[in-house]
Order: sequence, then structure tokens, then C-alpha cells
Amino acid sequence: MKEKIKNNPSPAHENIALLEKNFRYIKSSLLDIFFVFYSLIVLQRTIYYRFIMDVREIPFSWGEVIIIFVISILLGTAWTISRTSLSSMLLGIAKENRTAKYTAEIFGFFLFNITFIAGWIITKISIVDFFSAEGIEGAKRIFVSMFTPEFGIFDDALFAIIETVYIALMATLISIPPALVLSFLTARNLMNENKISFTVYYVLRIILNFIRSVEPLIWAIIFSVWVGIGPFAGMIALLVHTIASNAKLYSEAIEGIEEGPLEAISATGANRIQVIWYAVVPQITLPFLSFTIYRWDINVRMATIIGLVGGGGIGTMLMQYQGLARWREVGLIVLLIAFIVWIMDYISAKIREKIY
Amino acid sequence: MILKIRNLHKIFGPGSHALKGVNLEVNEGEFLVIIGLSGSGKSTLLRCINRLTEPTSGTIEFLGKDITHIKGEELRKVKSQIGMVFQQFNLIKRRSALTNVLTGSLGRVSSFNSIFEKFPPEILKQANDALETVGMAEKAETRADKLSGGQQQRAAIARSLMQNPKLLLADEPVASLDPATSNSVMQYFEKINKEMGTTVICSLHFLSLVRRYASRVIALKDGEIVYEGSPGSIDDEKFKTIYGQDAGEVEIR
Repeated sequence: MKEKIKNNPSPAHENIALLEKNFRYIKSSLLDIFFVFYSLIVLQRTIYYRFIMDVREIPFSWGEVIIIFVISILLGTAWTISRTSLSSMLLGIAKENRTAKYTAEIFGFFLFNITFIAGWIITKISIVDFFSAEGIEGAKRIFVSMFTPEFGIFDDALFAIIETVYIALMATLISIPPALVLSFLTARNLMNENKISFTVYYVLRIILNFIRSVEPLIWAIIFSVWVGIGPFAGMIALLVHTIASNAKLYSEAIEGIEEGPLEAISATGANRIQVIWYAVVPQITLPFLSFTIYRWDINVRMATIIGLVGGGGIGTMLMQYQGLARWREVGLIVLLIAFIVWIMDYISAKIREKIY
Repeated sequence: MILKIRNLHKIFGPGSHALKGVNLEVNEGEFLVIIGLSGSGKSTLLRCINRLTEPTSGTIEFLGKDITHIKGEELRKVKSQIGMVFQQFNLIKRRSALTNVLTGSLGRVSSFNSIFEKFPPEILKQANDALETVGMAEKAETRADKLSGGQQQRAAIARSLMQNPKLLLADEPVASLDPATSNSVMQYFEKINKEMGTTVICSLHFLSLVRRYASRVIALKDGEIVYEGSPGSIDDEKFKTIYGQDAGEVEIR
């Protein structure tokens, strides 16, 4: 069968091959234009303005950008056509000679270096600032007071951190039923039966991906406006994110199950519900349990951070004392957080170990 | 006649034509063995019979009824009458042998009862009898993943017995087992075939097993039946046409 195709290729096959080749040229020239544009912009804005002209505030004008863009289109296209560019190498349409090889290597090296230099300038890395005597003095003050924590607020801090642990616990527990339902609806191997179920799968995946890509910190800001600042807002923020993340983890566990038992059970004439109950559920119970405990552990850490933007618990308290520059109190809170996080980490690891 | 297959084709994709017009008739009570190289279409043929794989064209008649395109409840009904045993046993690993055997009766139990694992007493009795039949009565409460390969396959046979199958399909049931265990597992198929009158269609690799258990043999090569007849009449020449010039026979006892 395969040999036949090789011996007399149909016109359709030739067309597709030709189309693919043309398409690769287009992709390659677009990539080359981007590379040239990127290097010129970086060279102009960082190397030229910053080092040669030594201006602090780099001027910006669309005119310059457009000129550079036009130059890059010309250069990039020409470079692709010459088939010696980096992208033609990457897409496998370069000439097989030494010029092409060296150009690609040298240009790649060049790209890496200007990127590193641009990064250095953009992040404003300054060795002078790092070792300034004044700065070190300030840091020392904070460190010293943090290492002599103020135990006067221990009771308050303890209650606050208990609040944090419970925020995380509630978010995790309440997330289980919705995450379970969603995970079955977003498992490819259960949903590819017909078009309707596949559409449901696809739409839900997109929604969950979106929810997951928004950090819990942002959700906390939204919900602290919605239900008011406090632990409830933090809990809902974590809940939303946990549902989306766990639905993903659960559904991946479902997708990873052995197909054999599934087939065997459906071959006995069992219906869909029975197949899921007998062949899917036993295979996923333990991973689900393990993910859920791990998520609680993660949520304790996240709940701390969420407190910083009004999600209640120890984070909110930390924010208040930090605002007042009361570093010894901050020191105690940080100590307590580290301790609780370490304990949670240890417990969840132990439980997960026991499960498997 | 229990099974009648007419001009069955299965195409998985371009260049992957697994069955090329298979015609086959199986009588009640037969022990039919399918031989052939890996990739010759043995599994596909078996899986088309109980519709784990959808045939591309052709017809399959089971007990005089065309089942090629039936769906839903009707298909489940047919599936519940055809037992199947797999090479990889396909038991639920974290459940007891008994629970695994009970899953064979799911076609007769309501969804509600099966979720709460409430099986009627007569089904429980049948499950214990099925385990007895395959000599596994004392292993009923052992978790499936704690059983040896041979024991797992016997539990899988017991599971298929729960369906009171008219037809039992076995897809290389002994290919993952050692020679001695292979023989003992094959004996249970023989027992089911002889004592219960169940028709068995089984794919096998070892000719010594074929000669011992089969009442009839078909050989597949590249999706086509190249030999059909009694197991005794496979001579050297026929063997080479089925398995290729370089093949040599391996004995297993």
C-alpha cells in the first residue's frame, strides 16, 4: 500500500507538497523579518541611546519604529530568499553550505547576547545600588528586627494564621464536587463519543483554561469588591482557582487511565454509568485524593499571599504591620507563616506517601 | 449457525486496511481458532464481532440477526450475550476477584443497584459458582492485582461466564502467560466449550495449542483468510504461507 503511493504520486500529493514548501518560505521570511526587526530595535534603543548617546530617558516615536520596520521587511525577505538566514535553517530550507551554517550560528549568538544586554538594561540591574552602604544599613535594620520577633502579638497572629488555614481548607473542600463533575466533562477519552459531548468538552476546557490563567491574587481583588474585604473574599478567590486547577488535574488522571478495563466492562453489555463506576472510578480515586490534599497545601500558601490584597487571614495582618514599618511584628508573622507552611508541606507529603 | 460474517472490511485510515473482505461462518459448539502473524487482523476481526471496533463495511449476523449497525440498548443486549477475554486480562486492579467476576453481570443489573454494589443473591451465587468453575473459589476476596497472571486470566474467564455467553471471544488469551499456565488456562476454555456447549473463537500463536484445542482453524494474513480447515492438516508448506518463509515452529507443552 505504502509503496504504491511512493511509486506514482498523485497530483494532489504533489500540490500539497508544493504548497507546504511555499508556506515554509512565507513562515521563514516572517520569522526573519521579526528577527531583524527585534535586533534593530534592541540595538537602537539600548545600545545606541543608552551606551553611545547615554540618555537616561529614551525617547519614543512611532516614526522611528516604522522606519525600522520597513528596513526589516526588506532585509528579512532578502535574507530568506538568499536561503542563508537563521529561520531558513530552522525551517529546513537553507542552502547546504558553510555560509548558511556560519550565518545562522553567528546570528543566533548575536541574538542571545543583545537579548541579555537588553534584559540587563530593562530590569535596571545595578551593582552599585546593591552594594551601597545606605541600602545595606536599611536591610540590616529590618533583618535584625525580624530576627528579634515581637511575641506580644503572638495570640493575634496565631488566630490570623488559623483563619488562613481554614480559608484554604474550605476552598479545597467546597471545590471537590464541582471539580469532580467538571473533570468528567473535560476528559477527552470520555467525551469524544459524539459531536455534542465533544463541543461541551471543548467549551469547558477553554473556560477553565481562562479561569486558571487568572491568578488567585486577581480573583481576590475582584471578590473583595464583590463580597467585601475579608476571609470570605479570599476563600472564594481560592475556590474559583482551585476548581479550575483541580478539574484539570483530575481530568488528566482520567485521561491517563488504562483503557483495557474500560473495554472489558463495556464488552459485558454494561451501560455508560456502570462503565464509569466500575472501570474509571477505581482507577482515579487515589490520584484524586492525592491531588486534593496537595491542593490544600498549595492553598495555605496562596491564602497567605491573597491576604495581602484583602483576602483576610495572616496576609492581611502582615500587610498592616509592614505598612506601619513595625519590623519586629513582621518578623513574628513571617516566622509563623514559615512554620505553618513547613508543617502543611510535611503532613501532605506524608499522607500522599501513605496513599500510594 | 451462531455467527455469519459477510465481506467484512475494516479500514483504520489511509494505508491501514486491517480486514479485506473476510467471510466466515461459525456453527454452534465450535472451538474456532484464528492464527496469523501479529498485525494480520486477528484482534480486529474479534473486536468487530462484539463491536468494540466498528466495521467499515460488510455484515455480521449473530444468531440470525444483523448486528452490524445496531446501537444503544440493542447493542448492549447483544454484547451481554458475547463474552470476551483479553490478552492483558483487563481486570479492575483494586477490586477483589469476586467483584471483578460480578461486573460480568452488569448487563442484567440496574445502574442504581450496581453503583451501590447491590447484587441479587442468585447473581452472587452464580459468581461464586463461576469462580469455582475456574478453580478460584478460595481467591474470591483477593484483590485482582495480587493475583498471578494465570489466576487473573481465570478470573477474567469467570467474569465472561457471568454473561451466560452464547459465544466466547478470546483475543490471544495466553500470550502473556508462561507455557505451563497457558495450557491450564486453555483447559478452562475447553471445559466451557465441551461442558456448557459455548462456542469459542480464540486467537492463538502456538500451533501446538492450536492442534490440541481447536476443532477448526482459520489463518489470517494481511487481513484475508488464507487457510481454513482442521488443525491437523496444517503442514510445513501451509505453515510457511501463513507465517512467511523464515518462520519456524516453536513447541509448547
